Amino acid sequence: MTNQRRLKMVILNGLVAALYVVLSLFPGMLGFASGAIQFRISEGLNHLVVFNKKYLWGVFGGVLVFNFFFSSENKLLDTLFGGGQTLLALLILTLVMPYLKQTWQKMLMNILLFTGSMSMIAWMIVLTGSTGGTQMPFWPTYISLALSEGLIMTITAPIMYMVDKVVHFDAQMKS
Amino acid sequence: MNKLILGRYIPGDSILHRMDPRAKLLASFYYIGIIFLARTWQAYALLLVFTLVLIGISKIKLDFFIKGVKPLLWLILFTVLLQIFFTRGGHVYWQWGFLSLTQYGLINGAYIFMRFVLIIFMSTLLTLTTPPLSLADAIESILKPLKVVHFPVYEVALMLSIALRFVPTLMDETTKIMDAQRARGVDFGEGNLFQQMKAIVPILIPLFVSSFNRADDLATAMEARGYQGGEGRSKYRILKWRTKDTVAFILMGLLTIALIFLR
Repeated sequence: MTNQRRLKMVILNGLVAALYVVLSLFPGMLGFASGAIQFRISEGLNHLVVFNKKYLWGVFGGVLVFNFFFSSENKLLDTLFGGGQTLLALLILTLVMPYLKQTWQKMLMNILLFTGSMSMIAWMIVLTGSTGGTQMPFWPTYISLALSEGLIMTITAPIMYMVDKVVHFDAQMKS
Repeated sequence: MNKLILGRYIPGDSILHRMDPRAKLLASFYYIGIIFLARTWQAYALLLVFTLVLIGISKIKLDFFIKGVKPLLWLILFTVLLQIFFTRGGHVYWQWGFLSLTQYGLINGAYIFMRFVLIIFMSTLLTLTTPPLSLADAIESILKPLKVVHFPVYEVALMLSIALRFVPTLMDETTKIMDAQRARGVDFGEGNLFQQMKAIVPILIPLFVSSFNRADDLATAMEARGYQGGEGRSKYRILKWRTKDTVAFILMGLLTIALIFLR
C-alpha cells in the first residue's frame, strides 16, 4: 500500500471513530425507541466492515474512544471488554467474509457474531458483580444483552445497506 | 455542543493533574485489578479512604463522581439485590420461597455496591484530571513495544487523535443536519419503528458524505505538509516520567500488600 493510501485509510478510520462517538452521544434523538427500550444507532457502524474490512480499525477505535472518554459509566472495564468484544467479532467476520458472497449473508453473519460475542460483556458484568460467596447468574444477563444487540444490529442492517447505495463505502476506502 | 465537555476533562493544577498520563492510565488499570482482592469490610474501607483522598487531592467536587455513578445505578441495584436475596449463609432474617435475606447476603450486597462505586470513581478521576489528547499520547507511548510485532502504533495514535479532534466538529454537523431535516418536517423518534428507520437515513447520508470529504481534505493537507508517518517525527507534547509518578506506583504496591494482609 502506498503512503498516500495508507494515510487516507488512517484518516478515514479516525473520522469513522469520531462518527461512532457522535452517533452514540445522541441516543435520544438518533436512536430507536420501542417502549422502554432505547437502541444506539452507532451499533449499525459495525456493518461498515461488511463493505470493506479496513473499516475494522475505525469501528474498533470508535468503541474504545466512546467507552473511555465519553461513557459516564464503567469506563475502564467497558473499554477493555467492549473493545475486546468488537475486535473479536469483527476479526472473525473478516476471516469468514471471503466465503460469503452476498451482502445480506455477511450482514447476517455480523449480527450472529455480535450477538454471540455479547457473552464477553455478560462475563464482565458477572465478574464485577460476583463475590467470593456468590456468582451472578450468567445466562439471564447474557440473554438480555444478546437480544438487544441482535435487535439493533438487525434494524440497522437495511439502513447501512441503503446508505451504502449512495455513499459507496468500499469505493471511499479504495479511492 | 455546548453541553459537551470533551472527554469530561476538568482543568486544574493538582498533583494528579500534573502526573504523567501514562502513570495515571497504568495505575488506574492496576487499581481496578486490585479491587478484586478485597474480601473484608476493612479492605473495602481502606480502598474507599484511598479513593476519597485521591479525589480530595484532585480538588474536583465529589458531585462529578456521584454523577458518574447515576447512569449505572439500575445495574448496580440489580446486582446488589441479586446478591442480597440469593446468597445463603449466616443468620436468616427473612425467607419466602427461594428468596431469603441472610447475613452473608447483606454483606455481599454491600461489597458489590462498594466495588462498583470504587471502579467508577477511579475511572472518572482518570478522565477528569487528564486531557483526552494526553491520554492518546499515553496510549501511543504504552503501545510502543508492540512495534516489534509490526503493530501500527503511530497510525493507531493518529487515528485516536483525529477521532478526538473531530468529535465536536461532527457533533455540530449532526445538529445542523438534524435542524435542516426538522425544518423540512421530519420528526425524529416519532412514529413506528419503520418510520423511525426512514428518518435516520437522511441524516446518515450527509453525515458520511461530509466526513469522507473532510478525510480527503485532511489527507491532502497532511501530504502537502510532508507527513511521512510517525518515524522520526518530533512531538509538541512531550511526556516526562517524574518522581511523583514512581511514588504513585510505590503507593499502589503498598496498597496491594495491605489488601492481601486484610483478606
